[in-house]
Amino acid sequence: MSYLIASSLDEVLTSLRDGSGKARVVAGGTDLYLQDLPYGLVDLSCLKGTTVIEQEDDLISLGSAVTHTAAASSPLVLSRARALAEGCEVIGSPQIRNIGTIGGNVVNAAPAADAAVALVGLGAEAVIIDIEGNIRQEAVENLYWEYNRSLIDSTREVMISLQFKPCMDGEGSAFTRFAARRALALPMVNAAARVKLENGLVKEIRLVAAPVNPAPTRLVKTEELVIGKPVNDQTISMVERSAAEEVEVRGSLLRCSARYRLHLVGVLVSRALKTAAERAMGQGKAGE
Amino acid sequence: MNNLKKQVLIFQLNGEPVEIFADPAESLLTVLREKLGLYGTKAGCGKGECGACTVLLDDRAVNSCLVPAGKVQGRKVETIENLSQGGKVHMIQEEFVEKGAVQCGFCSPGMVMSAYALLKENPQPNPEQVKVAISGNLCRCSGYKQIEEAILSAAERLKN
Amino acid sequence: MTLKTPEKSTRRYGKAEGTDYQSPEVWSKVTGKAVYGIDHAMPGMLHGKILRSPYPHARIKKVDTTAAEALPGVRAVLTGTELESKPFGIAVEDELPLAVDKVRYIGDEVAAVAAVDLQTAERAIKAIKVEYEELPAVYDPAEALQEGAPQLHDNFPGNVAWERELERGSSSAAFAGADVVVEESFTIPAIHPAYLEPISCIAVDDPYTGITLHTALQSPDAVRKIVAGALNYPLSKVHVNGPVMGGGFGGRVYGNLKVYILSAMLAIKSGRPVKIQLTREEEFTAGRPMIAAAIKMKMAVKSDGTILGREADIITDNGAYSGQAPWVSKTLSERNDSVYRIPGIKTRVRLAYTNKIPTGQYRAYGNQVANFATESLIDMAAKKLGLDPLEMRLKNCVREGDITVHGLQVGKCGLSECLQAAAREIGWDHKKAGHGYGLSVAIHANGSLVFDKNFRGASALARLELDGRITLFTGEQDYGQGTHGAFAQIAAKALDVRPAQITVESKETKTAPFSTGALAMRQTTVGGKAIQLAAEDLREKIFKAAAELTGEPVTMKNSVLNTMSGRTLELGEIAYHYHNNTSGLNLTGEGKFVPEESDYDESGYGNISVAYSFAAHAVELELDKTTGAITVNRLVAAHDSGRIVNHLTARGQVYGGVAQGIGMSCFEGCLFDEGRMANATLADYKIPTALDLPEIDPLFIEIEDPVGPYGSKGLGEIVMVPVIGAVANAAADAAGVRITDLPLTAEKIYQAMAGWECEQ
Repeated sequence: MSYLIASSLDEVLTSLRDGSGKARVVAGGTDLYLQDLPYGLVDLSCLKGTTVIEQEDDLISLGSAVTHTAAASSPLVLSRARALAEGCEVIGSPQIRNIGTIGGNVVNAAPAADAAVALVGLGAEAVIIDIEGNIRQEAVENLYWEYNRSLIDSTREVMISLQFKPCMDGEGSAFTRFAARRALALPMVNAAARVKLENGLVKEIRLVAAPVNPAPTRLVKTEELVIGKPVNDQTISMVERSAAEEVEVRGSLLRCSARYRLHLVGVLVSRALKTAAERAMGQGKAGE
Repeated sequence: MNNLKKQVLIFQLNGEPVEIFADPAESLLTVLREKLGLYGTKAGCGKGECGACTVLLDDRAVNSCLVPAGKVQGRKVETIENLSQGGKVHMIQEEFVEKGAVQCGFCSPGMVMSAYALLKENPQPNPEQVKVAISGNLCRCSGYKQIEEAILSAAERLKN
Repeated sequence: MTLKTPEKSTRRYGKAEGTDYQSPEVWSKVTGKAVYGIDHAMPGMLHGKILRSPYPHARIKKVDTTAAEALPGVRAVLTGTELESKPFGIAVEDELPLAVDKVRYIGDEVAAVAAVDLQTAERAIKAIKVEYEELPAVYDPAEALQEGAPQLHDNFPGNVAWERELERGSSSAAFAGADVVVEESFTIPAIHPAYLEPISCIAVDDPYTGITLHTALQSPDAVRKIVAGALNYPLSKVHVNGPVMGGGFGGRVYGNLKVYILSAMLAIKSGRPVKIQLTREEEFTAGRPMIAAAIKMKMAVKSDGTILGREADIITDNGAYSGQAPWVSKTLSERNDSVYRIPGIKTRVRLAYTNKIPTGQYRAYGNQVANFATESLIDMAAKKLGLDPLEMRLKNCVREGDITVHGLQVGKCGLSECLQAAAREIGWDHKKAGHGYGLSVAIHANGSLVFDKNFRGASALARLELDGRITLFTGEQDYGQGTHGAFAQIAAKALDVRPAQITVESKETKTAPFSTGALAMRQTTVGGKAIQLAAEDLREKIFKAAAELTGEPVTMKNSVLNTMSGRTLELGEIAYHYHNNTSGLNLTGEGKFVPEESDYDESGYGNISVAYSFAAHAVELELDKTTGAITVNRLVAAHDSGRIVNHLTARGQVYGGVAQGIGMSCFEGCLFDEGRMANATLADYKIPTALDLPEIDPLFIEIEDPVGPYGSKGLGEIVMVPVIGAVANAAADAAGVRITDLPLTAEKIYQAMAGWECEQ
């Protein structure tokens, strides 16, 4: 096998072209040994742009090789996209967060990846370039093919960055998870919410839960129910009921039964919404 | 891309440049132990689930079992061996001994490296930050209490 | 009720002067210089690998090793048929080094290879072709005991590996006269010791010295004997030389015998040193967890809370082979009866073979399994009677001078003081509203008088070196629990020298005195006593030699000998004097601790140990009613382990043992899917991380015991026993419902509170 630490995007694309389907992109590489190793790996974690966190105009952009540690501690993410910071700070362990990346978290396509769930909650889109140089932009939730399999073909496509709108005044986001252990544990359920309030009423909302489908799943019906309502105890309990009714989940010997998981979906989605709404109501600084 | 299985890797190891010829797909853990003879870094699971193999890569704690050797090209790696060179012992290690934080000792090198990484970044951690910093390092002997005491005590010494 | 202040001193964070000595071995560990089994290699060493069965139960029709043997770099291939071994075992001889006609669990050892490197060995394993004929399998021990269940071993009909029925006192009278009867069924999964370093062994076959196993064991002498038997070697031709051990917790008492036997057989066949190193996955899928148990228990109680009797019907899950499961089952089924004054008991326990991972032992030997059932029932009875659980325990707990229902002779006993102290410290009298509180107690033997009725004690040597230092030779192993540091302290006290002048040697069976092993919480009390006696013997010999040299009586203080006339002598001078006069011998003290024979009878009634340790734990926790998740905030661990030798390491034992108890209560357990372990990784077999543990407060009730060295007793195993019951009781207190199936997951608690039917 060969391993190339690419120093430019051109080099990444050239290497993938030369590899003719046998070389693929790697970022943090924390899940590398769980798979069959390819003939060549092109490491993009040292590329100039891929580790940048910045806000331009009304978009926050995070390079795909931003580590979980970097995202969780970024002042910009903490103030304008709290859900992502919360999602990133609970992944695996400090050692994994120090090297694992948000792009990898999405492309690896695990069904309840914490960063990916938070990103879908925030409404993030991925910027992807292919070996011919075509650039496309895709909502994160649309990047999943099946369980643990991404639609992004890492032998010919590279995710460059993830972008979403910052939470401004009147907006808030939050992430919640429930696991058997407080570190080194996959969640039974995780959830994210982003809400925009106007005159105390919900104007815009995104509610996301996982693992429900291969991709982090928006709870569209529940979102509709909440539009135009205040986030009070009544709404919260309605969300708890509705969220659990809206989805179907699977049980597993390792995590929990389907019935309990469904219950957790309701609990976690409503908790995420409650926290996001508190943040939107300016319990804290501007934005969150 | 080329067909060679092995390639030359040059990186900083414990303050010195090293140049090795290795399969870049091999884990850093394997390279450290089997190529470079640094057996202080322990192997407990090979999957990033126990933290016994923790080393510093560019000043941050990582599971060396999950890092492909190719990734360390041009970067800085520190292992437990770097903390006690020339007969001296790092004060974190002194505190581990002082507080009774070492039982079977198998997690200790990784635990010390996590503590070292924490104190590099945050010299005055609170107890919760200490717990988080070692939450990727499993210890079956100690219940972690004396390890936490040792790290907080090392931080206290840093203050003075 | 109001709490009395215990009369004996309690010490919270004992950093008592001079008792925090640490054996210098910690320095090599903390600097990464200690050489563990995984770090160890030998010149010319081959790598061994084991082929394991993919089926839970199957007949082996054919094993074809031709392709494996033809691979370049392969030096030895072994199959069961060629070995012609006789069965071996620990409690029951039911295992062969490699399966011959049948495999009985997923992971069963079928063939082994040794090759020049690990990759070649792995390739060779894959190249071995095995034809299997699948057989019906049985996974549930209760089903295995039913008629018509698939049979695992021809010579164990009905899949009964071991059973026992026992009645003492009159339990039927107890139940007839009871005001209240409480009854419940409890299930406890198999628990893996999960020591952090996977087991490995390098076997070296030398024509002169025989087989040497380089592997870290808690009980090297016991393993050596079994390996010699399996190889048909004389005992004096099998040695163990232990590297540093990365955790044991009972799992390395006998470790993984197949690994030792197969590495030795491969070494013999290849003529080269062979190392077998288990992967973490193999540790789980072919390791030796503690038996799972189903306990049906009922208790008869008078309206004032007096316990009248208890009955239990217990089924334990042996897995495919027995290991120590019969002994663990026996302890599990009776020891908890002795923590209270129970006039009558009736017990039936059956150990069943199933097509799952064979079992072994784990710290506390099943005592903590039974603690879950017994202590849950106490709280259930107290609740039914409207009594304070603390009061009920104080009313019934054993006291000094008691002879328990099984004939245990209770000596010094601080159990009620432990209960009072733990309850006071947790705030039993002023509980926080909405929080759950629970108590639990334990008794634990300090070594066994009856495991081998003819061998009940320990011995040690204390040798004066020519430089005046002292070397202790003991068979007691230290893998971090602090035994050797404590031994140095004990000998230092006997000799009036500094602990740092003392080195403890234990790892080579060629030189170490025989020992039963680091088990049964025997090391401090029994092994330590031998150390004390050896040191005292050496002291007398030093005095004698000094008197010969100086012609006058001597005394010793701070490592220096003083004569009546004021002359001072260094220890080294005496050592040399003796050395020269004997043409090279060292002054050596012998310590033989030979406890008196026990009255233990055929029925298993009688005293089983020289001393008993006691503990009471109190837990305070919070419950998230929306999810069922509990957060254990605080655990107070009050222990009567006599005079504490070393407060620093004693605290370490409490913290670590409680952590394992929390793991077992809240997270751990082997999960099986059709005989396959489903959580065979450290990500899914969840031992606690630093974020998962409560505040833990050790309290030592230091009542001196006359037997052990300087009033001390054992601590290492009892530390985890009461945790399970205390957490279960606190969870039931908070939830209002009781979970009787470990671990106490959020899901189970939520389901019970919501009144769901059990699913999954």
